[in-house]
Amino acid sequence: MAADASSRSARSLNLSRFVRPAIGVLILGFFIWRLWTVLFVEQIYGPDTWLRFVISGVILGGVYAVVALGYTLVYGILFMINFAHGDVMMLGAFAGYFALEAFKGAGLLNRSLGWSIVCVIATFIVGMTVGALVAVLLERVAYRPLRNAPRLVPLISAIGASLFLQNMAQLVFGAARHTYSNPSFIERNTGWNLMVGGQEVLLTYTGVLTFVLSILLMVGLYLLVQRTKMGKAMRAVAEDKDTAALMGIDVDRVISNTFAISGVLAGAAGVMWGLHMGIIYHYVGFLPGMKAFTAAVMGGIGNVPGAMLGGLALGVMEALGPAALGMPFQLKDVLAFSILVLVLIFRPTGLLGEVLSEEKV
Amino acid sequence: MSKVRSGAQSGLLTGFIDIFFVLVGLTLLVGSLVAEWLDISAQWPGAWLLLATVAFWSGSRAARSIEAQTWKDVSLASLTAGLVHGLCLGLFAGGMAAVMAAGANVRQWLVQIYPETIALVTFDLAPVVGALVIVGLSTVVALAGGWLYLLSQRQEWRKTWRSWRTSAVDRVVSSRAVEQATSFKYFDQTKYVLVALLLLIAPLVLDRYWNFILGTVGIYIILGLGLNIVVGMAGLLNLGYAAFFAIGAYTVAILTAPQFTVNTSFWVALPVGIVLAVLTGVLLSLPVLRMRGDYLAIVTLGFGEIIRILSKSDILTDFTGGPRGIRAVAGPVIFGLKLNSVEHFVYFILLGIIAGIFVTRRLQRSRLGRALMAMREDETVAQAVGIYTLKYKVLAFAIGAAFAGLGGVIFASRNRFTGPEDFTLLVSINVLSLVIIGGMNSIPGVVVGALVLKGLPELLRQLDDYRMLAFGALLVIMMILRPEGLLPAQRGQPVSTVEEMEAES
Repeated sequence: MAADASSRSARSLNLSRFVRPAIGVLILGFFIWRLWTVLFVEQIYGPDTWLRFVISGVILGGVYAVVALGYTLVYGILFMINFAHGDVMMLGAFAGYFALEAFKGAGLLNRSLGWSIVCVIATFIVGMTVGALVAVLLERVAYRPLRNAPRLVPLISAIGASLFLQNMAQLVFGAARHTYSNPSFIERNTGWNLMVGGQEVLLTYTGVLTFVLSILLMVGLYLLVQRTKMGKAMRAVAEDKDTAALMGIDVDRVISNTFAISGVLAGAAGVMWGLHMGIIYHYVGFLPGMKAFTAAVMGGIGNVPGAMLGGLALGVMEALGPAALGMPFQLKDVLAFSILVLVLIFRPTGLLGEVLSEEKV
Repeated sequence: MSKVRSGAQSGLLTGFIDIFFVLVGLTLLVGSLVAEWLDISAQWPGAWLLLATVAFWSGSRAARSIEAQTWKDVSLASLTAGLVHGLCLGLFAGGMAAVMAAGANVRQWLVQIYPETIALVTFDLAPVVGALVIVGLSTVVALAGGWLYLLSQRQEWRKTWRSWRTSAVDRVVSSRAVEQATSFKYFDQTKYVLVALLLLIAPLVLDRYWNFILGTVGIYIILGLGLNIVVGMAGLLNLGYAAFFAIGAYTVAILTAPQFTVNTSFWVALPVGIVLAVLTGVLLSLPVLRMRGDYLAIVTLGFGEIIRILSKSDILTDFTGGPRGIRAVAGPVIFGLKLNSVEHFVYFILLGIIAGIFVTRRLQRSRLGRALMAMREDETVAQAVGIYTLKYKVLAFAIGAAFAGLGGVIFASRNRFTGPEDFTLLVSINVLSLVIIGGMNSIPGVVVGALVLKGLPELLRQLDDYRMLAFGALLVIMMILRPEGLLPAQRGQPVSTVEEMEAES
């Protein structure tokens, strides 16, 4: 940031140095005032409602975190935003949908509990495989030829790829919404009932599955990056491509592997989304993709634990936010985008800090 | 073995391309288009024209990738390519045919797979026979592709082709008539006058529908010129451009529509709309412009979505009409003459385009424009030579937003309506695509981009479903093959070279 500092001439009066804290104080003040009103003055929601919000937020946050890991991994290595990552998730969700339909058609889905579990595992494997394939193909076709191009070029290519994947899905699968057919043991909207303050709060089976799985995937990824040879190679390439190549690391292959892993995560997230939310369509990847990106930025892009933390935090904030701030629930997505804009303005390095230093970019 | 391997690779790639064509329904569409065009009832020639072109390419690609020089090598490679290609397509089509024969409704999952779609590919034969026919056909076509590649590599063929081509081009370019015409003193001016005359007459000749299209293309040219200043000149990727467009449109709607109490005239609303758009642009740009290119893109995208969601939310219904939008937006009145038909608006839009071209041309030759371009090339260097980048970024954003505001005002008052669905992310991406595909920082590029991206799909109405698909693919392909766009900007000559400066001193 040395160049920035020197460019601040006297006549600019350090406008941004004045504007940013002012906006920050205003926003913080508004936030505290709304919170005060809702919590202590109006008291619209009881503890059961708050618990419902937290549960749905944590579940959603798990999915965001898994998708955010894909953004972070790719950004860490290539310094580019994989704009089409949300669409990889969408295709993974569709793959899972077709797998479930096939199992249902073959009569295996609800034959017995054992068969059901096998079907669900197989569905995840199908979704993850498709996600990995799409991500690797994407890298080969749309990103690899642009490895040494100026920064905006791969981003535009990624936007094009995202547009292409979305419209391809619309043409091939139709614009109609498809409903996941869950096996009966994880039927949507069934689960354990918790008693909170005299009210029943539903903890769905799909929600628990989603959350547990996302935690498992995060731990798995962390171990993969920190403990395996492949992870070591990935970290080396992220640090310095040229030196890594000199040390005998096949950079192209490491990048391919990274995309494959991000695709696996996106595919799993897609299937989780389908099982938990139930409805998928060609545009389903866009919003979760954007929010996961927000989560990745929030945690510090390029930072693996940051993406997990950011995802969970964003999910909870999004679920609690409208109620806590007394906003209409319609504006849930505005909240997520505002968080993105605010984080980028006030702390562009994210909560845990960008692992990669500026000069490497 | 490398011949077989590269052949198999080619075959696999092109096989999947053909399956993709079938899946998105392109074969059926091309089939019916060709049938209509040739005035025949059979649709398979068109469908197979498409599929066979890919198979042909498969063969020649396989031959090219191993740089084969002998008949044997070429045959081996393209034969494998054809076989693999045929196997992919054949297995897919045969499988589909078998599933359909078993009575399953494939369209439940894959909406474009009508029974006719598969029947076209397999010539309505039984699954296994059809698949075999496909394999045979692909192999033959791919072999032909490989051999043609080999023939085209022959020295004498290439020589004949090159000499024929150069002589043909020479004959046209160096002919006396062309030389005289281009050396005519006022050639450039006449060219522009001719185009202007054509555009002046066009709205009178064309019918309402075509004038509407012409107007839409024109509005996109205005938007493109504005975004070109932000993206093409200054290199700031703005994905929330539709937000400024929306602000212009909603301003004119709120100020002139009878359902609100203001009810001013269009001429008041026009500058207000532009000024509001500029203000929003400046306000947005102040906090975000320190970000690097890709972050900026995402933030502007988020901003665009925020504006769109707000415009259709309940809290602003009193001002924006929510999802229903605002009706009866007023048109401009000049000397008591009401400009309310689509034809009138074409002229009005033309004025906007001329203003846009004027501003862009002046900018390109001004200190401001050069500062923006320097920033695009390398921000750090620009700072080092004393360009206060933050100020210029804000200026670029403001000028771009002004054009978007103008476009929005005209758009809303021409359509007499504005609603949140006019300002989706797709609008921003459309404008961005036309700037990039046309050519960054190039005025003819923007015009051609708008004509190709907004005009061409209207001519090929049946292909409309495939428009966004093609945009996406085009963006990727352009970035790989021709990142500077179809009609890139001419680089200006340096004012003085190093040698000149040394000579002077």
